[in-house]
Amino acid sequence: MRSLETEVLVVGGGSTGAGVVRDAAMRGFSAILVERGDLAVGTTGRFHGLLHSGGRYAVKDPDAARECVVENAILRRTAADCIEDTGGLFVTTRWDDPAFGDEFEQGCRETGVPVEEIPVQEALRLEPRLDPTISRAFTVPDASIDAWKLVWGCARSAEEHGAEILPYHRVLDLEQDDGKVIGALVKDELAGEEVRIRAEIVVNAAGAWAGHIAELAGCKVAVLPGKGIMIAMNHRLVNTVVNRCKPPADGDIIVPIRTVSVIGTTDTRVADPDELEVTQAEIEEMLDEGEKLVPGFREARALRVWAGARPLFSAEEVASTRDVSRAHALVDHAERDGVEGFITITGGKTTTFRLMAEAAVDAVCEHLGVDRPCRTQEEPLAGSEEGRFYWLGSRLRAREPVPRSEEIICECELITRDRLEAAITRRPTTNLDDVRRVLRLGMGPCQGGFCIYRATGILHARERLDHRAANSSLLAFLQERWKGVHPILRGDQLRQATLDDWIFQGLLGVQHLPE
Amino acid sequence: MTYDAVVIGAGLAGLTAALRLAEEGLRVVVVAKGVGGTHLAPATIDVLGYDDGPVESPARALPEFAARHPEHPYGRLPADVIPSSLEWFRERLDELGYQGGLDENLLLPTAVGVAKPTALVPQTMAAGDLRAGGRFVFVGLRGLKDFYPAYLAENLARAALPGGHSVRARAVELAPRLGEERDVSGLGFAERFERRDFRETIVRELKPRLAPGEVVGFPAVLGLRHAREVWQDLEAGLGRRVFEVPTLPPSVGGMRLFESMTAALRRKGARIVVGSSVDGAESDGRQLTGVVALTAGRPRTYRGRAFVLASGGFSSGGLQVDSHGRARETILDLPVAGAPGPGEPRFAPGYLDEHPIAGAGLVVDELLRPLGADGAPAFENLYAAGATLAGAVPWQEASGNGVSLSTGYGAASEILQGTP
Repeated sequence: MRSLETEVLVVGGGSTGAGVVRDAAMRGFSAILVERGDLAVGTTGRFHGLLHSGGRYAVKDPDAARECVVENAILRRTAADCIEDTGGLFVTTRWDDPAFGDEFEQGCRETGVPVEEIPVQEALRLEPRLDPTISRAFTVPDASIDAWKLVWGCARSAEEHGAEILPYHRVLDLEQDDGKVIGALVKDELAGEEVRIRAEIVVNAAGAWAGHIAELAGCKVAVLPGKGIMIAMNHRLVNTVVNRCKPPADGDIIVPIRTVSVIGTTDTRVADPDELEVTQAEIEEMLDEGEKLVPGFREARALRVWAGARPLFSAEEVASTRDVSRAHALVDHAERDGVEGFITITGGKTTTFRLMAEAAVDAVCEHLGVDRPCRTQEEPLAGSEEGRFYWLGSRLRAREPVPRSEEIICECELITRDRLEAAITRRPTTNLDDVRRVLRLGMGPCQGGFCIYRATGILHARERLDHRAANSSLLAFLQERWKGVHPILRGDQLRQATLDDWIFQGLLGVQHLPE
Repeated sequence: MTYDAVVIGAGLAGLTAALRLAEEGLRVVVVAKGVGGTHLAPATIDVLGYDDGPVESPARALPEFAARHPEHPYGRLPADVIPSSLEWFRERLDELGYQGGLDENLLLPTAVGVAKPTALVPQTMAAGDLRAGGRFVFVGLRGLKDFYPAYLAENLARAALPGGHSVRARAVELAPRLGEERDVSGLGFAERFERRDFRETIVRELKPRLAPGEVVGFPAVLGLRHAREVWQDLEAGLGRRVFEVPTLPPSVGGMRLFESMTAALRRKGARIVVGSSVDGAESDGRQLTGVVALTAGRPRTYRGRAFVLASGGFSSGGLQVDSHGRARETILDLPVAGAPGPGEPRFAPGYLDEHPIAGAGLVVDELLRPLGADGAPAFENLYAAGATLAGAVPWQEASGNGVSLSTGYGAASEILQGTP
């Protein structure tokens, strides 16, 4: 059996785990991250993409708001390339209590969220699609953040600092010796073999799945997965993050991110973060709430729907743990359960992932008896050194001067053949869905209608796949797309999907591909 | 003026109905929002490719298929309409040299290397017939992102063929000079292939790389207006049989079909108005008297004695599901059958599974007249044809152009019978 050794083993490849492994590596620890699937496929890859200003928490959860204020500013410096500086609006619709605006403004001032009330006419000039009957509008520094880019940026930075990133490595067991966790037995899912990893400390950053990991060490971590659904609408119905100015509720935000806008979300406790069913009632609720912000929302083109599982740390647990803040939880299992060499960091949100990582690695330092300061609040990710924000038109601008000078494989997201080939080469993957998350391949209006065939042909040639692997990648991608598309298929998107049926089943006949 | 027939939609169904009526001397106008499904589909006439499994002989399979599926357009048509429509089509589109028929399906390779049954194929595709097996080489063109010959060949070599025949298939990549461009569409290649010097370069580069007896498959981009000449030239130059493999839309083969049919229509004096969406109708209660189209932003009424609704299915916008889950026919608001109601699942969770909404569309009487809510024909002089009809799942049955051709032809026949 292959075996590896490291000082810090991080379990979980979401934003928290990626933040932890980067922070640990930057502080000079040897570090390995294992993730059962691809990076950022859990909660991190399944939210609406909001970089919180703190406004959403200003009234209900001032501590969380204060954290967001600080982290928002830090990420704007260190991860600018992942962020689109859309700005945010809180607007009072005719369904909302206008008095809440005062409470909201007060909360923002007390927690340090930069807020300014602007005339309604000004808000409508900024966002002409907003319901013209809104009565109040406030600006805050909300933004949108590309979680995949962020997580991959952290992972690559960690690698540059010597860490090893192992996606598709599932933890089978945490190995203990005399009351101390000494490592993990993991399964390399791609190679189909088991790997033993010895570590001085294991950081459980498995988010909504943290309870399962803790159990392997005989510890109880009560994480309650909170399901939230989101719907991506074709086009940017708004170009500013638009929030309802009212206490947090379902469907109260529209986030413009890349080529789409995402409405969210709901909050339902579920038993299993791997079983997140989206109901028609939830979809209808989202569309109805969207209609209140942007008239015509219901009949706009909806691309796909998905659900994520927030890791909600139960209150009893908070009381019995080292409570770093209300917003996230750090459990030192030595202190709480008498199990050495094992800590859990969970809860929180992508906006505060860096702070959570810092807290976790501070605890690692304490365990390993060293004092090394955190540097992630200063050092930018690759591509963000100049502090330039991502800009929606950037891919187009790069292509426009010399049209047709490169093959565009995905027209919706303007992905060139060179970029696709580089991504395929860089990832040890035969799975187009992995490539999708890095490039946003097939995520635009046609949902892969044209690019999937092309990408399969290129993957087949590039990786010298046999027909079997190429066919199953193609079919798996189609099925993966379908999962998020069919619950909301209607209107022009149904028209698109029927064209895709003609292409894949009528023209190509993928249902008759050989085994 | 009052037309003898107003045809809504310029896909294969609409063009077929219009041409058949025009050649009988009727004054015909085709009004369409845009070019139709021809530009999206390969130009093959698939009549019935799959039932429980691949269909070897549509002629043998159809009577039983029609009996088993009375709701299918084939179940609505008199038995002789399908063969008559194919015969008519072959004769009228003589310049495209369609080959095959209902007796036995050909098997043509798709762009992923599946052997797909189809009844009637343009001559530029016919040499791709796999039924007797053989040695094939597929030619990739650098700069054309819509064709991957190595992937095609590898799958095709594993295709299950009837009679135990087998296929040997391989790929060759050419890098033709494209000037500054690296991203050339199928149409862009079609234009290049119409230039003699471009063809000569292709032949020069390709010929030394061919083995004796190999049949040569190109992506279906071998010319638009002079496709026959391009194809003949390549066969002569390479000394091999040459054929085209349909690939991603827009379909160059489909454009040829559209060009040929609209040219034939114009020769017969029909009028074609593309770019006008019909969104209203006038009637005297029992009969439609006119349809209202938006032309250059102004409403304009096309009056007629008979009407053919060939506005297509969901993919063409002829049918639609609104955000509340209600299915509707978009032009005349005719009732749509076979669509699950709001709140009922319209789709299955597996992409390739059978979806409850598949097959939704207009129900017609035996004269192909769509029925209104009361179960009687919505209008005495309104006929429907093509993908707007209920009962077919064309991409699964491989029946798309077959349904369009036969129902377009059938609707025209009914109009002709009712015309003094």
